Amino acid sequence: MKKMHHLQIIPGQIGEFVIMPGDPGRCHLIAEHLENPQLIAKSREYTTYTGKYKGLIVSVTSTGMGCPSATIAFEELIMSGAKYFIRLGTTGALQKNINIGDIIIPTSAVRLEGTSVEYIPIEFPAIADIDIVDALIKVTHNKNKKFHIGIIMSHDAFYKGSVFADTDFLKREQVWIDSNVLSVENESSALFTIGYLRKVKVGTILTAVANHLTRNVIIDEEKINPIFHQMTDICLEAFKNIGKE
Amino acid sequence: MEQVQYHIRCKKNEVNKAVLLPGDIERADYIGTKFFNKSKKITENREFHIYNGTYENKAVAVCSTGIGCMSAAVAIEELTNIGCKYFIRVGTCGSLSPEIKTGDIIIVTGAVRGDGASKEYVPIEYPAVADYRTVNALRTRAKKQDTDYKLGIIRTHDAFYMESPFAFGDYKKRITIWAEAGTLAIENESSTLFVIGSLRKVQVGTILVAAGNLITDKESTKHGLQKSIDKAIIIATGALVDLQEEEKK
Repeated sequence: MKKMHHLQIIPGQIGEFVIMPGDPGRCHLIAEHLENPQLIAKSREYTTYTGKYKGLIVSVTSTGMGCPSATIAFEELIMSGAKYFIRLGTTGALQKNINIGDIIIPTSAVRLEGTSVEYIPIEFPAIADIDIVDALIKVTHNKNKKFHIGIIMSHDAFYKGSVFADTDFLKREQVWIDSNVLSVENESSALFTIGYLRKVKVGTILTAVANHLTRNVIIDEEKINPIFHQMTDICLEAFKNIGKE
Repeated sequence: MEQVQYHIRCKKNEVNKAVLLPGDIERADYIGTKFFNKSKKITENREFHIYNGTYENKAVAVCSTGIGCMSAAVAIEELTNIGCKYFIRVGTCGSLSPEIKTGDIIIVTGAVRGDGASKEYVPIEYPAVADYRTVNALRTRAKKQDTDYKLGIIRTHDAFYMESPFAFGDYKKRITIWAEAGTLAIENESSTLFVIGSLRKVQVGTILVAAGNLITDKESTKHGLQKSIDKAIIIATGALVDLQEEEKK
């Protein structure tokens, strides 16, 4: 069978359940949570592992940064037979009451990126699958973690909309802050849009590592790695609950 | 705010905080008089007919919105101003899927923003998403009633005579893009109601009955449709009861 053009995987090498971080360098942290994880492929920004979790076959595939590379990964995973997806990543908070370390579970996303518009006009809503959202909420709630549910914003230009951007970034983001958008990241809106078009289930879990209003940010690995382990635990339990139904 | 709201002619706390939002004035009268206990008409002005009542011993209300996002936005803004918090639109729609027959029930997760009103509120890339708690409350009540339903995205738009079986010219060509995207149906109010819900932090959901099919051109019989609309009203009113219970916990 022919390998997928970018991911370099073939159907049968991955499970129906996939966790998608942005960073290929963090895939191994997630794969550690699986039984007998196998490195399937490494190509460009796409690293794929497959293993087992409580009877389910689960894969981990990095998407790289941004919707252009994330949608390539997503489309090739769907072509390879995957059906349930959770993007796992970091985010910059846009609301005062969201602290660094808080978890965010988006119900939907602002489509401030270019990729999804090539699929369907901009007025189409980018909605997370409600069964994935429900499963993530239940597991996070049971673990007694602080979390927020709502709309996030996905965009393309990091240096126009982050704490490292030029000084005007808050002015540009004011419309989203005023519209109760919880936080900013770079992949979810295109994943949600395409998930609906392809009839697969996709959701996102994020942890705030910056707050654009206070300009606080964490970058050290020792602080960020535990966040990834915590979110991986939540994703795997959510998949287990979905797998049961 | 003791002020009487400009269009709905009500003051703070005069309308129960969980509100059904049909489009049709007559449907508001029907719900208020036939489904509510202790029913009381509150006001009647323009296309806004408002009743308070109880259902399963919980306080509920109904307010018609008229057709279209312009008047629907006025209704939900003014109801929110006077303390209303839970909203469920109950109405009819045109199916965009051969699998959704006339009389079938749709629970909406999000809406295409093909309307004009919501664009005055926030840029077009902002999603028109239904409140997930309300979606779940509707799903739970539908299951309790043993009622099948379709779950997904619909299209909201403004110009009935551009996208309906009564439209001018080749309306099927205009709706093809949405049908191919898996958009379940087409109606005229939900996208703005959802956007305003997110902006003003009130909970909004929608339950619809397919009154016709834009792909197969099938219209429903009046009798068959009414049975489905009654079911949708019972599911929606029950969901308003559950949402208020949920908040107490």
